[in-house]
Amino acid sequence: MEILVRNGFVFDPLNNVNGEVLDIAIKNGKIVDSSEINISKAKIIDASGKTVMPGGVDIHSHIAGPKVNTGRLMRPEDHYVSFMKFIPGVRRSGTGKTTPSTGIIGYKYARMGWTTVIEPATPPLETRHTHEELDDIPIIDKACFPLLDTNWFVMKYVSEKDYGKCAAYVAWILEAIKGYAIKIVDPGCAELWSYGRGYNINIDDQIPPYNVTPREIVRTLCKVSKILNLPHTIHIHCNRLGIPGNYETTLETMKSVADIGDGVNMHVTHCQFNAYAGESWPTLESGSESIAKYVNKRRHVTLDIGQIIFGGATTMTADASFEFALYHMYRGKWSSKDVEAESASGIVPVKYKKKSLVNALQWCIGLELALLIENPWKVLLTTDHPNGGPFTRYPWVISWVMSRKAREEVLKNINKKAYRRAILPSIDREYSLYDVVVMTRAAPAKLAGLNSKGHLGVGADADVAIYNINPREINPSRDYDKIIKAFRHAYCTIKNGEIVVLNGEVVKTIYGKTFYVKVEGMDELKNKVKSEVMERFKEWYSVDVRSYEIADYELRNPYPVMVKASG
Amino acid sequence: MSQSLTITLITGRTLDQGRGREEGKFTDLFYRSTAIVELDPDDFVRLNPKGNVKVKTDYGEVVVQPIQSSMRHPGIAFIPMGPWANIVIDPNTRGSGMPTFKGVKATIEATSEPVLKLDDLILRYYGREVKIPPVPDPPSSSIGERVVEAVPCPYCGCLCDDIIATVRDGKIVSVKGGCALSNSKFLHYNDGRIAAPMMRVNGGFKPISLEEAVRKASEILVNSKYPLLYGWSNTSIQALRVGIELTELLGGVIDNTTATCHGPTVQGIHYTGTITSTLGQMRNRADLMIFWGCNPLNAHPKHASRYSATARGVYVKSRRERKIVVVDVRETATSRMADLFIKVEPGKDYELITALRMALQDYDIEQDFVAGVSREKVYELADIMRTAKFGVLFFGLGVTMSEGKERNIEEVEKLVQDLNLWTKFVLLAMRGHFNVTGANAATLWITGYPYAVDFSRGFPRYNPSITSGTELLINGDVDAALIVASDPAAHFPRKAVESLLRIPTIVVDPKWSVTASIADIVIPCAYAGIECEGTAYRMDGVPLRLRKIVDPPVGIVSDVDVLNMILNEVKRIVGG
Repeated sequence: MEILVRNGFVFDPLNNVNGEVLDIAIKNGKIVDSSEINISKAKIIDASGKTVMPGGVDIHSHIAGPKVNTGRLMRPEDHYVSFMKFIPGVRRSGTGKTTPSTGIIGYKYARMGWTTVIEPATPPLETRHTHEELDDIPIIDKACFPLLDTNWFVMKYVSEKDYGKCAAYVAWILEAIKGYAIKIVDPGCAELWSYGRGYNINIDDQIPPYNVTPREIVRTLCKVSKILNLPHTIHIHCNRLGIPGNYETTLETMKSVADIGDGVNMHVTHCQFNAYAGESWPTLESGSESIAKYVNKRRHVTLDIGQIIFGGATTMTADASFEFALYHMYRGKWSSKDVEAESASGIVPVKYKKKSLVNALQWCIGLELALLIENPWKVLLTTDHPNGGPFTRYPWVISWVMSRKAREEVLKNINKKAYRRAILPSIDREYSLYDVVVMTRAAPAKLAGLNSKGHLGVGADADVAIYNINPREINPSRDYDKIIKAFRHAYCTIKNGEIVVLNGEVVKTIYGKTFYVKVEGMDELKNKVKSEVMERFKEWYSVDVRSYEIADYELRNPYPVMVKASG
Repeated sequence: MSQSLTITLITGRTLDQGRGREEGKFTDLFYRSTAIVELDPDDFVRLNPKGNVKVKTDYGEVVVQPIQSSMRHPGIAFIPMGPWANIVIDPNTRGSGMPTFKGVKATIEATSEPVLKLDDLILRYYGREVKIPPVPDPPSSSIGERVVEAVPCPYCGCLCDDIIATVRDGKIVSVKGGCALSNSKFLHYNDGRIAAPMMRVNGGFKPISLEEAVRKASEILVNSKYPLLYGWSNTSIQALRVGIELTELLGGVIDNTTATCHGPTVQGIHYTGTITSTLGQMRNRADLMIFWGCNPLNAHPKHASRYSATARGVYVKSRRERKIVVVDVRETATSRMADLFIKVEPGKDYELITALRMALQDYDIEQDFVAGVSREKVYELADIMRTAKFGVLFFGLGVTMSEGKERNIEEVEKLVQDLNLWTKFVLLAMRGHFNVTGANAATLWITGYPYAVDFSRGFPRYNPSITSGTELLINGDVDAALIVASDPAAHFPRKAVESLLRIPTIVVDPKWSVTASIADIVIPCAYAGIECEGTAYRMDGVPLRLRKIVDPPVGIVSDVDVLNMILNEVKRIVGG
């Protein structure tokens, strides 16, 4: 199929296009030069007066896997309130708001103009489950990050300071379970949670059974990621998440890898939850300024905000001991699961309230990070779906970063003490549409190493979003309602060269790719490590290693990304 | 007047009933192991039956063979789950979708009447004559001999993946590492197979082509206003996915066997969440294991040696380093290996769990006995629990099927949540079929609900007290049924089976099940995990790839293929 998107205001930061009126030509799922398509036969989309940009890329959204499904299981009430009807030949049905079913995830992302989403935390032993869910999510392309920090093999190699073997192990496991990057969650916590501990561990605490520290784990995995030349750097949820005063731990974690390699070597995820000053909940303050200062000064760290949204959410994380603490605060439902020799998880449904001091400050801190960090290439938009709120609220977050007025509308109703303590009310900065495209498309694609995503240059995947925004007429600062409306329902979403959303509604169901990493090189070391794995596996795990490995053909549409290990 | 006993009737799995399931429902083994009632030795002597006994409840009466139990359980009679038990169990689900399979008041009296064979039973109670066509010869090829390792066993929720199968001339000739149930599956998979697609004509079955069977099945489904698509727990996720798509298109209901096993567990989790871990974590660390209302030595024979009581873990290395507690209404093989056995009165689990929660918080228990358990024992158990380093509570149908149902599970979950304030504690439901956990998981991620999902309004709705397969059949609400990889006619209460007989029924199954024998269209398929691949989820949610060890018989395809053919035919008819 050939498509020509005509006369739109094109925003393509990776190619330095900033709102110029251009045509975008599409053929066989790729962006091509206009001369390559047959205009008389091509489907013409008139985008005049509209904004054209690459499809959205979400680097951190819990959309698939065992804990996501347990979230659905424990929240039938979340499914009674929201549903999508079956339309024969067009779309499947589904239910759920903060824990939506697979169909809804794909359709609602596509409806907003997002086309690539990464599940950021999967326990390797249960990753076959994660892939089966990813396979059932329509339209979008996807990938998943396996949890590796409290993996016994990793900790063993960390304790032996054997970076080579650790790298070879990571190379093996990424290919074995079809993962994409290294995920670290409150490093060390899962192991301690095995005996009900692990809350509030800090970067230099000792973690059994090998008595390594979170700092050593993080540094080793950071080096591993550099040795393997992984497309995305280590993706870390820092220690002491959700605990007042934790911004210092976050800074300490950032500094711990400052000397390793060139370029970006750490992505701190949902940083809002890790940017708290103060000593207790009553004395909670924003720690965003110190973090922004560090990120502005240094080149090695990027982050995503993990914005909270007032209303219902379902917190779910591999930080099981923190979820246990949350259960104490909310005293409602609580789920937890340990995964042998690897990981753990916890789930607690919550409600963020405007009048709550803590929640209101959390809301401010997320936006402060977005606004105090000067370079939009370093700070991505997320709600850590469904932890801070559902991804369907991105349009509102966009309006808040683009419009001081939109923020003030919310600020005037929040907890007064929080208002006085927050930095946000004093911030004037407003993102341009170009900045928003960076933050939601170009930067996440670039940081995830997805070279064919996040831009509209020739050869890019034909993932395009067209919005009813005329940048010459709409002033986002004032007309933020129109921005919200436009981003909630894209005028048109093109995925892999096919029109999947038109006038804000899904018109076609297709299924995207699943990216995973295959590391070439280090063959000798890989074999050695594989035999060490085989030796221990039976003792440590309750399955055969042959059941653990996932074959390529088990995935609907696997797409290996080849990288070459150095050294 | 003959001597009669008033007792509490419970049903459940046994090892032989489980073996009989695989070797064939119409075999002598299944008859001998299922058409029986186990009585306490004293009760047996008191009744002193010379021949058979008649079991009577408010819901029916059935003649079975009395067996003197080797264990003591005065006042309790046990019938293995199956067609005989179904005649007398309580079909009331009390809004849970789960019939009352345990704790039914019954009287037992000696009788001279014979115990009906399965086909006679079906004729007598359901008025349908069973004529099973000849079973085909097993396939053979001259590939020679080979050994396949690390095969996950597609029998129970343990999915042990340490089976070594030897294949000779296209057939599995021996397996190593399996339990009795596993062996019965791997060595009898060719018994009782359905030779070809069949259609019921004049009371018997007529072979038809696969295409014709698919066409007829599709017509039945399209012409139905409200079809039920039931089963799914003994096949792969891949089959279920097609089933859900088909149900969505038809506007029917899809339900899996959860309705009659751990439906209440799922509902309990709706209220509270669940605190669990993978089996390897339990094996590696748990120094206390409590088996409540479950008997793994019979229902999950390798559970104890591979994952729990006697398994070798990284930190807890043997049975000696673990304390084992069993809570049950009667002595079982599992309770015999326990350090502490607590006998709870049938249907009183909720009271005991609540008392344990009170004891944990040091509240005074005023009653001397709770649910038949002395106050001191309650305190003792509470103390054992909170002083364990890593405790596990495994629970089974004894908790889900008896009085209280989902409220029992809610309370168990809360007990474990409370225990985490003291120490580390997790729990796990002992799921039965090898992929019932997966059937819940996949239904959940696709529709947002774990089972009993209704599509009649074009989007998923869920209310097990109305939309579970059991309720729909008991109430006669559906007008056609597609049964895949399950045998509801052997496991649903009589009222539901009667309803199934009134509506056109299609069965997709490798074998002649009771349901197949009374169905209108029967389509054979390959065995998932023996003759075709797929994914299945262990009871703790760990997903494993099922293996293909041998080729299916000539002309037999997987249920995934059959269902896709039906889906495409339905799409063609309705123009979707």
